[in-house]
Amino acid sequence: MQALVCQNVKKNFKSFHALKGVSFTVQEGECFGLLGPNGAGKSTLIGMLYGVVKRSSGSIEIFGKDPALQGRDVRARLGVVTQDDNLDNAMTVIENMTMYARYMGIPSAECLERVTELLEFMHLDHKKNAVIESLSGGMKRRLVFVRALIARPQILILDEPTTGLDPAVRQLLWDKINELKKQGTTVILTTHYMDEAERLCDRLVIMDEGEIRSQGSPKNLIQQHCPAFVAGVTKTPGLGESMERLGFSYYEDKLHGYIGGSSLRELSECLTTSNIVPQFLRPSNLEDVFLKITGRELADHE
Amino acid sequence: MSETLKLSWLITVRHWRVYRKYIWSNILPTVIEPCFFMLSLGLGMSAFVSEIDGKSYATFMGPGLAVSAAMFTAFFECSYGFYVRLKMDGIYKALLTTPISPREVVFGELIWVSLKGACMATGVSLIFILFGFIPLSWNLLGLFGVGALVGLACGAIGLISATMIKNISQFQTVYALIISPLFFFSGNLFPVERMPTWFQVGAHISPLYHGVKMGQMLLWQNVDVSVFFLHAGELTVMAVVFCWIAGVNVQKSLQS
Repeated sequence: MQALVCQNVKKNFKSFHALKGVSFTVQEGECFGLLGPNGAGKSTLIGMLYGVVKRSSGSIEIFGKDPALQGRDVRARLGVVTQDDNLDNAMTVIENMTMYARYMGIPSAECLERVTELLEFMHLDHKKNAVIESLSGGMKRRLVFVRALIARPQILILDEPTTGLDPAVRQLLWDKINELKKQGTTVILTTHYMDEAERLCDRLVIMDEGEIRSQGSPKNLIQQHCPAFVAGVTKTPGLGESMERLGFSYYEDKLHGYIGGSSLRELSECLTTSNIVPQFLRPSNLEDVFLKITGRELADHE
Repeated sequence: MSETLKLSWLITVRHWRVYRKYIWSNILPTVIEPCFFMLSLGLGMSAFVSEIDGKSYATFMGPGLAVSAAMFTAFFECSYGFYVRLKMDGIYKALLTTPISPREVVFGELIWVSLKGACMATGVSLIFILFGFIPLSWNLLGLFGVGALVGLACGAIGLISATMIKNISQFQTVYALIISPLFFFSGNLFPVERMPTWFQVGAHISPLYHGVKMGQMLLWQNVDVSVFFLHAGELTVMAVVFCWIAGVNVQKSLQS
């Protein structure tokens, strides 16, 4: 079943076109990534899913319902980890959660049990009665996860969920997201961490300037846009031509020159015969794809 | 509709839960200020002011000060209070991911502020009654209604200003240019009837003036039904118009 269908979605803020006709579909149980540089329109799109951004044209259906018209029903099935924490500073941890549960329409008996369970999982049970201000950034973020999960959402929307978190907390959250995926929860994720997207997403779109530039599984996108392996080398004039003559690809960004090859052995043999010591030699990843497609890094500094 | 009311009520519940945490320090300023006024003007000035329409100056000021308390509490709640919730803590951003929609945020704020206005106007009246400035009567219950209406109108002024200002310090300008004059020229400190005609006519644009008039009639137990309902009507129209503008503005600032 389709959890989310977006068709030709557009958003204009006066003369600025934030979204220029975006279409994609998310299947139930899928983890779907929305990637793109700042200002690509991701947050605008996410806002439309729960109804705080009105679309200019196009259609959105979440389990067959339009969030602009049936927002209340739609939001009852969503769990949203907002970009900012937006916790209620006037209340304690547990009060924040029970109040939120009431907004979501959960009976109070069920809610307390659920909240306790989630706080335990997120290692926050000892902070139950703490005021929000006393929590660290990582704790606040984990609490926002608890908040989003209280109502057992069918779709979990994660808007840059792990920005600014230490590796241990990120792993804890990834673990939880994977567990939810296994239970059949649909996940929609925006992130600037390509390793996160590669690890979690079944499928993703790369957006730039309000348009979808490419879509597919992380693996497919890498295969489609990048050589299998790359060697990072010092940028040298003329290196590109000589490599291309040898049948290898070459491109540069702000930091490195990249020699690309389809197999690790061929690439390392080429480096040895050309007498080049690479700074690194690794499989291509989503970050390579991202930079190649959005080109922002390159375009901005040329 | 019932679902809308239920969700709006939850916002009121949230505000009450936060309010009751520091209930005494929350109530105190709203209640103590009119008492200081009473002390300074009602007792201090009364040596220089002879009776007004057969009432001591304290008795004259009592109802007006009580109704003004509703205005102050409503304005502050919906200006500073709402602004902090909207822009600084961003709690509505989280709230709007739940079934609650912007319209319900508006209703919730207005329900809360009308209740606050009602309780403050009645509470301060009760204190003045206990001090013996005003006679006790069942009419006191009417102050709930007057306080609620004044709370709605002045809360809406707060909401409208909260959606228009660019920086929190600008509330002081709103206070100085709107709330202060409402307090000083709405017939709570002196009878508007003794002023020139232009002043009497001008007073009608003040929501507080109508509230004060109603409060005085009720607490002095000389209700002229037709005049009372004229004031009630004018105040209701103002409250509805202000709340409607506030509703449009708030919804705009919650949705893009």
